Amino acid sequence: MTNALLPTGFRDRLPPEADASARLVRIILDAVAGYGYERVQPPLAEFEATLTAGLHVSGRDLLRFVDPASGETMAVRSDMTGQIGRIATNRMGHHPRPVRLSYGGPVVKLKAGQLRPEREMMQVGAELIGADSVAAVAEIINAAIDGLRQAGVTGLTLDLNMPDVIDLLAIGPLPVDDVALLKARLDAKDVAAVPNAYAPLIEAAGPVAAAIGKLRAFDVQGLLADRLARIEAIVALLPSDITITLDPTERHGFEYQSWLGFSLYSPLATGEIGRGGTYFNGAEPAVGFSAFIDPLIDAGLARGDRRRLFLPVGTTAAVAAQYRADGWVTVAALTEEDTAQAQICTHILTDGKAVPIKKD
Amino acid sequence: MSDQIIFAVPKGRILDEALPMLAKAGIEPEASFHDPKCRALRFATNRPDIGIIRVRAFDVATFVAHGAAQLGIVGSDVIDEFNYSELYAPVDLNIGHCRISVAEPTDMALHDDPRSWSHVRVATKYPGITKRYFEARGVQAECVKLNGAMELAPTLGLSSRIVDLVSSGKTLKDNGLVEVEVISQVSARLVVNRAAFKTRADVIGPIVQAFREAVRADTA
Repeated sequence: MTNALLPTGFRDRLPPEADASARLVRIILDAVAGYGYERVQPPLAEFEATLTAGLHVSGRDLLRFVDPASGETMAVRSDMTGQIGRIATNRMGHHPRPVRLSYGGPVVKLKAGQLRPEREMMQVGAELIGADSVAAVAEIINAAIDGLRQAGVTGLTLDLNMPDVIDLLAIGPLPVDDVALLKARLDAKDVAAVPNAYAPLIEAAGPVAAAIGKLRAFDVQGLLADRLARIEAIVALLPSDITITLDPTERHGFEYQSWLGFSLYSPLATGEIGRGGTYFNGAEPAVGFSAFIDPLIDAGLARGDRRRLFLPVGTTAAVAAQYRADGWVTVAALTEEDTAQAQICTHILTDGKAVPIKKD
Repeated sequence: MSDQIIFAVPKGRILDEALPMLAKAGIEPEASFHDPKCRALRFATNRPDIGIIRVRAFDVATFVAHGAAQLGIVGSDVIDEFNYSELYAPVDLNIGHCRISVAEPTDMALHDDPRSWSHVRVATKYPGITKRYFEARGVQAECVKLNGAMELAPTLGLSSRIVDLVSSGKTLKDNGLVEVEVISQVSARLVVNRAAFKTRADVIGPIVQAFREAVRADTA
């Protein structure tokens, strides 16, 4: 293969995007570190059985292969959340609760669609294991918002979801034959295919205050009252300058969540840039979030300013070191033929001064 | 990208019924939209914050799913065919009614027993729907994708059966075919991009509500 074709959904990141990627991961991890989340680094691949137990995914959705050493089937992770849960349960099972952990690394999807063609993505996030209370959820969402904002994300919209609401209603006052089918149709807001009794849930979706009002009107038996009160309490703990919506039936691949789910959007990207929610890690309540870095790179965030100083042949090491200490990137000419333009420098060292290079 | 909300409407059979619906929801395209000589694809409306594009029905779903358009009107046949995860269909507009069906030559239907099928060869514009429908009943469907004139396929030996939209059944009859199974009923839906539904809730929410009320007024 001579033309360097990559498999569908894989890509090379060149300068300055590769640096932006590393910088974005760093910014978000540093932000959540400020809230007490410490980084763990699980491996890229594990035994399929261990990986699927934590991930709530089927092995059929993972890139799998046989481990020549053990003869067992291994799989590449498609999501790091389950690995964090595994670490919290096993290696850190003896640590006092809650445990606050963060992570960042590449994940690989087996298949990609037309809408999300990429198969390798950079995931970064934080998980709080041992609590899923209002305070815990608000902490995670605030940390996520803080991290994304420090990364340069603007115009944030937070969409809150109620992942277990259909189960509650279906085993209670509004029985249906096929709960899985109903959930899929509600997920697509396919109003024509949903029983009339459930239609108000689709109509309720929208800005959070109005949505809570509509859901209270719908919830005649008070089945959702406690959840709605908790959601109201969480919203009161979040920044007032972001848009917050509530969509009770949104699910979108987070079947394992318990009472609350959320997604984060920004006009910088077409899809969601972060998502999270409460879940059970084994028997332990937990809450976490993940952000996907690639849409942020594509939006041009964290490119940094390229202050590259060209050092002509003969510049001493001491002078170069001084400029680097002052925050410059120094690019040394290795031959007389080399030019500042060829090395995409912004400045050139002339007569002991950094002189800006005029653009043509 | 501009801040204008883009509304995608389909060329063809649904458009005539969709325009009064749009008007009731408070959206009226500029005059050149109705001018058959005009070659423009994007039009202004009476609302400066909403633009209209006119594209093929299948492309309405694709534009909206990708977020290139935020709203659209399209038949449920197209929604089902693509099964896009980023597409909401929050309002059944109760227009553009028809059904998507399996048809075969009349003389073949006389001896045919669908229960014995294990493999069928089908000419269709809807390979996704066709495959899923037959798979669910344990039949492997080999699809020949056509973009029109499906009715010719069985007589010319391209396939034994077709899956296509049926409204009166006249086209089938004129081509010596008979409807043997109905896959699903079709009607036009208002579709909304999932992300736009959240991030532009202040504008899109009221538009969706206006369509709901327009439909209720029609059926009342």
